[in-house]
Amino acid sequence: MFYRQAGIHHTTYRGDRALFAIPFERWQIGVLLAFALVVPAVVSSLYMKSYVLPWLIWSAAALGLNLILGWAGQFHFGYAAIMGIGAYTAVHATLNRIPFEIAIVLGGVMATLIGCAFAITALRVRGLYLALSTLALQFVMDWVINKVPAVSGGTQATIQAPSMRLLGNEITSDAGLYYVALVWCILVTVFMLNLRRTGLGRALVAVREKDFAAAVIGVNSFYYKLVAFAMSSFIGGVSGAILVFCFYHAVTPEQFAVNVSIQVLAMVIVGGLGSIIGCYFGVAFILLLPGIVANLIFAAAQALDLKIGIELLAHIPALLYGVLIIGFLLFEPLGLAKIYSNLRNYFIFWPFGYAKK
Amino acid sequence: MFRKLRTLLGAAALALALPSAQAADPIRFGLCYDLTKAYTFITPQVVQAVKDYAALLNMKGGLEGHPIELIVQDHGNEPQRGIECYERVKSQAVTVDLLSTPVSRAVLPRAMKDGNVMIQALVGRGDAIDGEVFKWVFPLGPTYWGQAANIVSYFKKQSGGSLKGKKIAFLYIDYPFGQEPIPVMKELQKREGFELELFPYPLPGSDQSSAWSQLRRYQPDLIVHWAFSAMHVVAAKEAKRNGIPLDRMITVNWFNDVDLNNIGADAAKGIRRSATVTSGTEHPIVKDILRELYDKGKGNGDRKFVSDIYYTTGLAIYAPIFEAARLAVKSEKAPLTAERMRKGLESLNNYSANGLLPALTVTAKDHGGGGRTRIEMWDGAKWVPQSDWFADYTDLVWSTVKQHSGEFAQAGGK
Repeated sequence: MFYRQAGIHHTTYRGDRALFAIPFERWQIGVLLAFALVVPAVVSSLYMKSYVLPWLIWSAAALGLNLILGWAGQFHFGYAAIMGIGAYTAVHATLNRIPFEIAIVLGGVMATLIGCAFAITALRVRGLYLALSTLALQFVMDWVINKVPAVSGGTQATIQAPSMRLLGNEITSDAGLYYVALVWCILVTVFMLNLRRTGLGRALVAVREKDFAAAVIGVNSFYYKLVAFAMSSFIGGVSGAILVFCFYHAVTPEQFAVNVSIQVLAMVIVGGLGSIIGCYFGVAFILLLPGIVANLIFAAAQALDLKIGIELLAHIPALLYGVLIIGFLLFEPLGLAKIYSNLRNYFIFWPFGYAKK
Repeated sequence: MFRKLRTLLGAAALALALPSAQAADPIRFGLCYDLTKAYTFITPQVVQAVKDYAALLNMKGGLEGHPIELIVQDHGNEPQRGIECYERVKSQAVTVDLLSTPVSRAVLPRAMKDGNVMIQALVGRGDAIDGEVFKWVFPLGPTYWGQAANIVSYFKKQSGGSLKGKKIAFLYIDYPFGQEPIPVMKELQKREGFELELFPYPLPGSDQSSAWSQLRRYQPDLIVHWAFSAMHVVAAKEAKRNGIPLDRMITVNWFNDVDLNNIGADAAKGIRRSATVTSGTEHPIVKDILRELYDKGKGNGDRKFVSDIYYTTGLAIYAPIFEAARLAVKSEKAPLTAERMRKGLESLNNYSANGLLPALTVTAKDHGGGGRTRIEMWDGAKWVPQSDWFADYTDLVWSTVKQHSGEFAQAGGK
C-alpha cells in the first residue's frame, strides 16, 4: 500500500536504473531532505549541535569506511588515522593561510596519498593479515602525531582550528556549520548511491566476493582494491577535516586514536556491511545511543530519587548498551540495515502479506 | 531514520525535563565526568567529595541562601559525549567541569566562544592559567610545569642549595601527560647545571622494564616520576628488582592510598609525592563532613574513601568554586550569570579553605591561583609534609605558559 509498485513500468533504461524506483520512497527522501534543511529552525540547539551534527559527519566517515569494508570487502583497522591525517593536514594548511576550500581538499589528498602508500604494501596480504597491517597504519600515525611536535602542536598536543571561511564568508553560526556538514554528508551519500550502479562499483563487489574469481573475469583485483582504498581515504580525510572544523574546533591526537578506529568499524558492522542507510543507523547506534541511554538512566534515577552510587549508576548504561548490541546481533546478524529492509519488505506487501512468495 | 532518532531524542528530552526546580534559585554546577573509562581512578572520590561538601554547605544554608545543586553526568572520556554534556548543562550551570584532558581540550573552544566558565583543575591545557588569553577557563591549581619546577626547587634546597653534579632522572609515561614537563625540566637543567636523563616507557605503562634497567645503569640521585594509578605499582616492583630505593623518587600529584596499598605500606616507605592539597581526615571541613554526614549515615559514598587524597582533591577543587559563587551572589542580588561567576572566581584572594589547599589568589591574569604545591613523604604510616606550600621558578613557568597561550591566541582561538 505504501510502497505501491503497481503501475510502475520501466520503459526506459534510465527509468529502470533510477536511484529510487518507487514513488513513495522518492517522497520519503524528499520529506527527509526538507526536514534536514529546516533542522536548525525546528530542532533545539542542544540536539542539533551535539546530536545531529556529529551524526551527519560520522555518517559520512562511516560511508567512506563502508566503501572499503562493505563494497570492496577489505578490512581497515586504521580508518581513524586516515581521518586524522585529513584533519591535521587541513588545520595546518588553514593556519598557513591556505583557503579553507583548498585546505579541505588537501586534507583529502594527503589522506589518499598516505592511505594508498600503505595500501600498496598492505594489499599484498588478505583478510586478517590485511586487518593487522592497517592496524599498523593506525599505530604509525599515533606515533607520528605524538612524537613530532610540528604535527601535534607541541606539549599541549592540541591545535586550535581557525574559524571556517567558505567562499569568502566566515561561518561561525551553528546553523552554518550544520549546513556545511549536511552538504558533505549528502555529497558522500549521493556518491555512494551512484557507485552501486557503476562498473567500478560492480568491479568492487566482484573483488569482495572472490578476488581471484574476479581476476578470471578480467577484473584487476589489486587495482580495484587500491582504487577503493584511495576513494575511501579521500572521504575519510575530508570527513576528518569537517569533523574538526564543524564540531571539535580543535584537533588533538586522541580524537583519532585506535579506539576511534574500532568505533567506526563497529558503526559499519552494526549498521550493516555494504548498506548506505545502515551507516546512518550504525552511527546513531554506536555514537549517540550510549549518551542517550546514560541520560535516560541518570534522569530516571533522579526522578525516582534512587540512592544508587554514582559509579554503579554510570555503569548501568554500559551494561544495557552491551545487552543491546548482543540483542541486535542475535536478532539480526546482518545489521540494522537488514532490520530496516525487513520492515520495508513487509510494507511493500502490506496488507496483502499472503501475496509474498 | 530521522523518525527513529527523533523518538529516541524526544524520550530523552522528556526524561530530562523531569527534574524541576525545588527551592528558591538554586545555583547549579555541572560535573561532566568520566565515570566509566580512563579517569575512574579519581572521579568517584571527587564526585563523592563534591556531593558531600555541597550537602554540608546546604545544611548550613547554602551559598547566601541559595542551595547548591550538582548536575553529574558521565561522558565516558569521549569528546563527543563531553561536548553533548557541556551543551546540555551550560544554560543551567554556572560552571562546567570536565575532569578529563581529551574532553577538556574538545570543549575548551566552545566554552571560550560561548563565554561559559569552564573548570579545568589538574587536567587539560597547562597554559590555561593565562587568564588574559583563556578568559573563561579556570585551572585553579598548579600546572604540571609548575609541579615539576617545584619538585626540582625542593630537591635543590634538600641538596644544600646547589644541584651541580646531581643526576636527575625524569621517568614518564610516553604520551602528552608525561611529556608535558620535559621543556621545563630541560630549561632547569640549563639553569641549575644538574644532569638530566629522560626515561620514557610506553602506554599503558604496564611494561617499564627497559626504562628501569637503564635507570639502574644511570644511578640517579632523584627520580621524578610522571605517572598515575597502576603505573606506580609497576614502578615500585621494577625499583625493587633493580635495587633502586623508592626514597629517591618523587611522583606527580597522582599518587593515592589505593596505589600505596597496592605497593604495600611498608614497601612504599620513603616515597615522596608532590601534593596540591592537604590530605587526611584532620581538616575541619573533613571532620565536619564525617560528623554531619557519615556519622548520620548520609554520606554520598563509602566512608573509607574520605581519607583518600583524591577525595580531598575534590574538596579542594570545589571549595574555591563554591566560595567564588558565594562572593558573586553576595555582591549583587541579580541572578548569577557566567560573567559574574567569572568575576567571582577572579576575586578569590588568599583563599585556602582553612588550610585545605595552598592559599589561592586568582586574578584576571592568573587563573591558576599561584601554583603552590608541597612535597609529602610516606613514613610507613602517614604522609608527612616535607616543606611548606611554595612555588618556585615562576618566571620559567610563566614564560612557558605565555609561549603556548600566545600560540593559541595567534591561531584565532582567543
